[in-house]
Parts: sequence; C-alpha cells; structure tokens
Amino acid sequence: MTSSTPGAGGGPGPIAAAAAVDRRRFLKLAGGAAMATGAVAWAGGWLNPEPARSAPGDPDLYWGGTDGWIYLPPTPAIAPFHPDSLAPAPLTTYIFGFRNLTGMTAQQRNNQKYKAQHSAPLFWVPQFDPDNPRDFTVTLTNLGLQLRPDLFDAHTLHWHGFRNVIPFFDGEPSGSISVPAGREFTYVYRPRDPGTYMYHCHVEDVEHVHMGMTGLVFVRPLQDGQNIGGFTRFLYNDGDGSTGFDREYAMFLSEVWAEAHWADAHIQLPEWSDYRADFALLNGRVYPDTIAPNGSIDPFNPVTDANGDLIAPDGHPELKFQPNSSLVTCKAGERVALRFSNLGFRESAMTTTGIPLTVVGRDATPMRGRDGTDTSYVTETINIGPGESYDVLFTAPDHSGGTGPDTYLLYNRSYARSTNLAPDGYGGQTTEIHVYPAGSTAIGAQAYPNDWGM
Amino acid sequence: MSSSAPTHSDAAAPVRTPGRSRPTALVLLVVAVLALTTALTRPGEAAAAAPPNSVGLVCTDGVAGDATHPIFNLTTKTGYISLPDGNTAFMWGYSSGSDGFQHPGPVLCVNQGDTVTVILHNTLPVPASIDFPGQRDVLADGLPVRAARNGGGRITSLVDPAAADGGTITYSFVAERPGTFLYESGTDPETQVRMGLFGALVVRPAAGATHAYNRDDSEFTAGEEFMVLLSEIDPYQHRAVELGKNFNVNNYKARYWLINGRGFPDSIADNGASWLPTQPYGALAQIHSYDAGGHPLPGMARYLNVGSEDYPFHPHGNNGTVIGRDGHPLENDAGDDLSFEKFAINIGPGQTWDVLFKWYDAEDYSPDNPVPVEIPSLANSVIGTFYSGSPYLGTRETLPPGTASLNQCGEYYIISHNHALYQITSWGATMTGPITYMRIDPPEPNDC
Repeated sequence: MTSSTPGAGGGPGPIAAAAAVDRRRFLKLAGGAAMATGAVAWAGGWLNPEPARSAPGDPDLYWGGTDGWIYLPPTPAIAPFHPDSLAPAPLTTYIFGFRNLTGMTAQQRNNQKYKAQHSAPLFWVPQFDPDNPRDFTVTLTNLGLQLRPDLFDAHTLHWHGFRNVIPFFDGEPSGSISVPAGREFTYVYRPRDPGTYMYHCHVEDVEHVHMGMTGLVFVRPLQDGQNIGGFTRFLYNDGDGSTGFDREYAMFLSEVWAEAHWADAHIQLPEWSDYRADFALLNGRVYPDTIAPNGSIDPFNPVTDANGDLIAPDGHPELKFQPNSSLVTCKAGERVALRFSNLGFRESAMTTTGIPLTVVGRDATPMRGRDGTDTSYVTETINIGPGESYDVLFTAPDHSGGTGPDTYLLYNRSYARSTNLAPDGYGGQTTEIHVYPAGSTAIGAQAYPNDWGM
Repeated sequence: MSSSAPTHSDAAAPVRTPGRSRPTALVLLVVAVLALTTALTRPGEAAAAAPPNSVGLVCTDGVAGDATHPIFNLTTKTGYISLPDGNTAFMWGYSSGSDGFQHPGPVLCVNQGDTVTVILHNTLPVPASIDFPGQRDVLADGLPVRAARNGGGRITSLVDPAAADGGTITYSFVAERPGTFLYESGTDPETQVRMGLFGALVVRPAAGATHAYNRDDSEFTAGEEFMVLLSEIDPYQHRAVELGKNFNVNNYKARYWLINGRGFPDSIADNGASWLPTQPYGALAQIHSYDAGGHPLPGMARYLNVGSEDYPFHPHGNNGTVIGRDGHPLENDAGDDLSFEKFAINIGPGQTWDVLFKWYDAEDYSPDNPVPVEIPSLANSVIGTFYSGSPYLGTRETLPPGTASLNQCGEYYIISHNHALYQITSWGATMTGPITYMRIDPPEPNDC
C-alpha cells in the first residue's frame, strides 16, 4: 500500500522512477516491493509538473452557499430555541449550507437561495493520474443569506486534509480570497492521496461550520478498476486487495446546538464556550430519519425538479433538505466500507451491536508505517475526534435464516449523542445495518455510495 | 533566561476591544495583523537582550552545573496575562531564577543522559511542587519522591512539595529518554496546574539536537522546531484564587483556550513581543517548502496538552507524521516504524505528541505555470489580510485601493487551529484562541 506523499521524515524516495513509469507499471510497483519502501505516486514540485488537461467550459461540480431550514425532531422542545418559531413547517432548524448546482440554468441556480441542505452534498474525486492528468474543478458561488442579509458573509470551500495545498485553493480566508454574494470562484484539485476527507466553508468558521456548511469528500485510488484479491474497488492503493470492498457508505458526523442555530435566525450571537450538542447528526439526520431513503446523492447526476429544487425522499417531505441516508444494506459475506468524517465539535464513539470493525485508514492515510509496517487494527468502537476521518471495513456476518434482513445498530456510544436528549430510546448518531442472505436478490449492486441497491 | 525580553521596544500595545460582537473578531484580526507586521518588518529594532530566535522553540538551558549536570532554578510567581478579548487573567507560573512572572513556564532543554537538577523556590501562599511525568526515579532533596498526604491519609501532592511562602525543594532525575515532556505542579493540580504551574521539558537524543529520537528518520531542520502547548482558562477560577476565595471545581468551565500561553492574534507575534511581557512564546511556524537539494528535512512540532480534554488540532495543508508520544518513539521492539500521518492531531490531556511536517509546493504554480483557472478580479473577492494578491509563492500583485495586506514578499500563510471550533473563541470573541499560522517563505533568494 502506498502512502503517496513521501514520509515526512524520510528522504524524497524514488520519485523520478515513479514518475517515469507508466500507469500500469506504477500500479505494479505500488503493489509490489516499492509499496513497502514508500514509493510515491506523484512527481512533486521539483520536477516539471505535467500540464493538466483542464476541462473546458463547465466545472466538474458547481456548488452554491446559502441559508435554509432543516428538520430535526420537534420533541422534546428546547424552549425557546427549538423548534424555531421562524421555521416554515414542517422544518425546525435554521442552517447555512451548500447546494449542488451542477448543470443548472442560471435561473435554477438563483432559485436555490434559501434552500441549503445538510449535510452538504457528498462528492468524490479520482486520484490524480500522472499519466492521464486531469484537473478536478469545483466552482463555488455565493447565493447570499436570505434570512440574514445584514451579514453579507463571504463563503469558501476548504477541503480539510488536502495535503500541500496552496493558500489560493485552501479556502482559508485570511491567507487567500473568499467569495462574496453574487460572485464565484473555481477551486482546482489534483488529489494524490486516496482516502476520506471532509470539506467546509472556512469563513467565520466557528459559525459557518456549526451552522451546517459541512460535508464529506473522498478520493478513489488509482488502483480502482483492477481485479485484486477479488475486488475492483478499494479504499487505498493497497496492492493486495486488503482495502477492497463490495459496498461503501459515507458516514458524516455533525452536531446541532439549538441555541446557536436559533441565534443566527434571530440576529443574536451565542456564547460559544457554552457549546453543547443538542442533536448529533449522521449524514445530516437523526435516527430514525437516518434510515429513511436517499434523496439525490450522485453529485454528477443531480436529480431536481424543474425549478432546480431538491425532491424530498419518498414519504419524507420533512427531509427535503437532508437527502443523505445512512442505512447500510449488504449481503452476508460482503465486505463493506464505512467512511467516517467528523465535523462536529465533540468526539464520537461509533460502535456496532456485534460487528467488529477493521481500521485500514485514518485521516486519508493507509495504516502503514513509513517502512510499510501494517498498523491496521480491529476494534469494536471507533473514536472519531473533530476533524478526523476513519476508513473502516467490516465483513457482513452470516445471516440468521429466513428471507428478511438481520438488523444491527451502528450508534454513538456517547449516549447523550444517540438520544436527541429524548427519554425514549435511540436517536441522534444512530443508524441500522441490514444484512440480507448471501443469495438475496432484494438488493443489487450500488450505483453510488450510500445507495441501498434497491 | 532571555526569552521574555522585548523584541520591539516601541511596539504599541494592542487595542483591546471588550465587546462580544461580530466586529470584535475583525478588530482583533487587524490588531493581529499589525502585530505581525511590526514583528516581521522591523527586525533591526530588536532590543539588546533579544531572544535568540523570533520564532520557534526558545530553550532555557541550565543556569548552573556542567554540560551533563544542568541545574535549573524555578521560582513560583504570580502575574497577569493578556487574553484576546481584552481581559486579563491572574496566573501562577514558574519562572527561571529571578526572572519576572512568565506564562507558561520556561522550556527546559536537556540532553539524553543528563542528570537534571531543578531547584524549586516557592513564593506562593500554598505548598507547591513539580511533577515530571514520564521521568523515572525522580529524587526530592536526594530521596525518592513520595506522595504527600494529609492527616486523613488522602494524597494532596503527587510529589514532595516546597513549603508555602518561601519553601525550597530540589528535584533531580536522569533524563533517560529523549522526547517532549510536561512538567507541572503535582500539588492540588485542579487549581495549581490550571493556574499556570506548567511548562515543557525537551530531552534531546544522543543522536543530536536536530533529531527527535535516536532514529535516523526523526531528523528535522535546524531552526524549524516549534512548540504547540495547548491549555485553557476558566476566568472565574482565576478570579477566585486572586481574591483568596474558594472555588468549587465542579463548576469549572473553560472560557479561553490558548496556544503557548497566548490566544490568536497574539499567538503569531514574535517570541518576546514587548506588548506581551509575561507571555514570551509565539506560535508562528516559519518554514521553507520542501526542496530535495536545499531543504530536504521536515520541521518538528512538539505538541503538549495541559488542558482537561482532548484538543483536536488541525494543521491545514500539511499532515503531521506522528513519530512519538509521551517521549516514546512510535516503533515496535524490532524497530519497525509505527508512525502515522494525521491531519487532525487529537492530543489527550497530559499527552505530548512529536510531529514531523513539511510542505511541498506540489504543483509548482507560478506566473509561468499558472493555475488552470481564471483568477477572479480582486474587486470581486474578499481579500484576506495575509494574501499577497497572487496565488504564487514569492509573487505579489497590486491590491485594490484601500486594501490592507500584511504580506511582505509573497510568502504563504496556512492556518493551524483547534478544530473543536467553539474552542477558538475567547469568551465571546470568535476566531481567537488556539490558532496559529505556518508561514512559508519563498525559496532563497527572496526579498522577505
């Protein structure tokens, strides 16, 4: 497995050799001895970078930043903050957020002001291929804050964890530029390190992050598409299939402090050191909403109505602005990848009712020492701090018999954040894992991450 | 010690804005920026007793003894520190010899194998001590340290304390293991450590002062060694101690979080900045980008957490390679490397993490190799105060009229901060607290 950034403590490594070989040769190297010696996947600044083939015209993705409302369980109420008295029914909670505007007309884009979603749209990017260089571009426009025009806040897109980024594309506003209302900016990425990351607006980031401008992004390894160890999709360039999977699920963790969200809607300021997580969210929802169907997930083929608006998941009009489901469906014996990222302000302790979890990556880094030593481990609980990501695999256990799925819970063992503060059972950062019989035809292949296959 | 000496004797004290409104952060940022400019553009005005380095780790060496038997005199003192919202906090602290109060305590630097002696002079009205977590066989006045107990048999101090109001005690130990360590009061720590009785101890390995450990892969660039000491303050506890009143520690609630004893924007001012007379340690990490020929080695960040909970520290744009924790290199018995790369340095209470980092100019963007997108007009952008006007390292562009920029020579500023974001606030002033920047200077020659 190759950590494609040279180890910080080591020398530059056989960079020229790695850069000179073709893709097939590189992958072979990556899967062989070179992997263990810390071979690198990219040429770096000390060689002449190859001119990247910039996509002409439209960006790969087009994001808008704005405000809006989402739904969280209205009971128990947290007076006077929750549910918010200004919220349009059935919604409860004021947010700032991103929307996917890719492919929309200018009119449709403008229609999306005040229609933010949470969590932000999931997206993924193929690892930069030196032999087929292609820039990945995300244009960000600022649609303005409908309820708080007095703030005239700028927005940015900060890809959290992107190595060696220049300030221009980092989205940290002091060291670069940010996007005022009505303007746009295009971020260019050449991601060389596969794994799971997160992204958020970095303007006034105590506020903008907590208000919901947060989501998950991951990078697919170059190794994808080869058949290694019986798999064709992988978390990392492992060379041996050890990070291969049959299905993958993004699990994005965030939190809502009702008072802070209310304060922004009501032109107040919260005292941040009083912070508390009233709601802990998994992909922008709390259990049992977490197991409601997906809305539009695939960022490259967004599904909207004629106005460009989101379409609510079947039977859940209240989840119109929370399209990301967390239900895990799989068949016995399948290997399932869970990609966790946490942009809440508290550590989450994600655990399952009886399925061991293998940590194969953390912070978009395969679990390998600089000399290749395997540091992956098996655990029952993943402690995920703010700003951390974990890449986790499990093998779906045997089915207990019958035709329906076996149900396991995946929940935050910090119970205060798996209850919504309600007295009656699980909520918050909780979802279900549905394991079908190995030969079941109830679920097919995934079309995109978090797809149920139904 | 020299580190608390002022660097810029004429620098104005920052204007303090006590409000809790949104503009406060902006005001503070402007102050920060002014401070940074002052710090970085007037190197010639350093006072006679300037610290050896304006950025980076400032070592206090033994004041007596010999090369392998350093002796430190630490005196407990009281004093005040400045906080980013304009408040001050009453503190206790360790100072070197007869130096004035400082926060945090001096960074004690010794070599592996040294027999280290630390003489504590206690001026506080209560007994106080120094615990050396991670050091073995510590002696107090020549005898193995013992816990102190009250009449009921309960432990009141992890190690023998110096008596109140002028007591003295001498601790000694052999610094067997290289790495980064805390030293802190072992007496009534819920009060004393929080009041500021702590500091960092750096043990240099036998391999030399530019190695973190006795591993070849722990070598770092001389002059690119930084301390990231993270702490927190409940102002009510400090007020109670100042007034000699009781404080119910069950009511403890941190309202400030600090890096090297300062909150942003003070955190990026120079070591020994004159307007921070009791807070000598800056946190700006000034480095050059990776270059296989001229700059092949990483920088080194020594993280320490003296607070009450995990601090998830996030350096943008440069993952840290965690090579050691609590003075233990990450390796197994066979010497295999167990280090790991992280973009979130989640450091627990009392822990130290040794982290190597470097920054590559990965795409080598320049005016001759431009970014593959149209650069929007700056008039259509909100311009950051550290932005040069150009995306390119070492390049500056004219900014729109009226735009203030503190950029000097096209250097890059990339932020590092605590990612439990409510902790980058100061009792109402957001975007303060444990924030610092990595400043990447253009390759030499430059006009910085």
